[in-house]
Amino acid sequence: MKELLGQVDKAGVVESSCILQGAEISVSTFASRNHETVAKKAFSYVFQNVSKLRTKHDEAHLEIGGKRLSGFMLNGERVLICMSDKNTNVSLVREHIYLLKPKFEA
Amino acid sequence: MADYKILFTGSVCSGKTTAIRSLSDIETIDTDASVSDSAIRRKQKTTIAMDYGVLEMSDSSRLHLYGTPGQERFRFMWQLMMSDLVHDAQALVLLVDNTRNDPFKDIRFYLDEFRDYLVQRQLIIAVTHSDQQAHPDHAYYMNELKGMGIFTTVLFIDARYPDSVLEVVKSVLAEREPDLNWDELGQRLMAHRPPVIEEEEESSEAPVAAETSEPPEVKLFSAVSLMDAAMNTRGITGAMHLGADRKVLETNIGSMQNQAMLKTMVNLVAALEKKVAFLGHIDNLVLCGPEHETLSVFVEERQALGLCSEKELSLAVVKQQGQDLLQWSGE
Ligand SMILES: Nc1nc2c(ncn2[C@@H]2O[C@H](COP(=O)(O)OP(=O)(O)OP(=O)(O)O)[C@@H](O)[C@H]2O)c(=O)[nH]1
Ligand SMILES: [Mg+2]
Repeated sequence: MKELLGQVDKAGVVESSCILQGAEISVSTFASRNHETVAKKAFSYVFQNVSKLRTKHDEAHLEIGGKRLSGFMLNGERVLICMSDKNTNVSLVREHIYLLKPKFEA
Repeated sequence: MADYKILFTGSVCSGKTTAIRSLSDIETIDTDASVSDSAIRRKQKTTIAMDYGVLEMSDSSRLHLYGTPGQERFRFMWQLMMSDLVHDAQALVLLVDNTRNDPFKDIRFYLDEFRDYLVQRQLIIAVTHSDQQAHPDHAYYMNELKGMGIFTTVLFIDARYPDSVLEVVKSVLAEREPDLNWDELGQRLMAHRPPVIEEEEESSEAPVAAETSEPPEVKLFSAVSLMDAAMNTRGITGAMHLGADRKVLETNIGSMQNQAMLKTMVNLVAALEKKVAFLGHIDNLVLCGPEHETLSVFVEERQALGLCSEKELSLAVVKQQGQDLLQWSGE
């Protein structure tokens, strides 16, 4: 899993990433504890409500300060979280993750 | 014959078409169409492709004036113009509408869009609509721009007055045209082209306004509510307006499910604003997926906006629309 996360981080696209399993982080490359904690709290709350309200959303993006935190739902109650610079084109981040998603879900 | 070019850009309503019309000797080619959708019912016409005009400055010098369309959905035109028609322009004039909630947000946005273009060109920031909204004033602009690391000329103009717009041209070309008599040119323009002041179309029907201290324009702006503006924006199917306390002021979101989800998103944002303000301002939270409408929350100090958008809309567009809408609701 750690090697896979290594592929998620990519210069100019994703700065750091982690996997949220339930309400806890299982693996992480985050250097900033604060951002990791915000992402953990925010996305576990958001996706809990998504399943409660059955809205079928599987992706969330939160822009805070100069950063964007993105959460992509994976199978097995997991969320792949990435942090990028707010000025990075969000579609670049999404395309990058969509390519890697099957590897995580395999 | 010396031929010069200047490109005007800036937000919707900042006065690009008007500025070019004020200066041009020829019938300006503008491509204004009636405003059909989108936020902008405050005005009747918007430029969809570009503006073009010509000013004969003297027997030996001519100025070509180009204007970009303001609306974000015509952004592809900007690129097209920069790489072709105006690749050799002397200056970029950024018109800034002083009535916008945060004019500096506009400045940041346009400077970012035109960053590469500005490498070999002069930039002039020309503030318009200051007759309607005096603040921020010149000193405030200079100070704020200094903070942003931008050192450039800032002029306050009224795009409807030829002599006022000419000041912009003068600050670009005065050195290149040392012999030109600017005062005379200004007088010629004013004599032949009275200020372009548009009349309100329905004015004949309108009852005589009761005497108040408020200028009429202010009423016009606030008549367009944020909710109306949102509902006239492409791809938006529902909106929720929230106050400074993040409580719902107004909503027209039909689906209970979306309504509930947006409220949990707002709660989250409000909680984060309290707890992790040290990480910076929370700008927005967007929720999407292939099988559900996109839900988003945009946050500002004084108000926030929840949107329900068609899932086909790109996230970049959703974001631009949300930010634009927050700019539009002058309170
Ligand atoms: N009061 C006032 N009105 C202005 C000023 N500058 C422009 N206007 C008016 O603002 C309105 C909008 O101007 P336009 O020239 O159409 O704006 P634009 O930048 O071309 O807008 P788009 O083409 O939609 O991007 C017009 O009614 C102008 O007369 C100004 O400095 N003061
Ligand atoms: Mg125009």
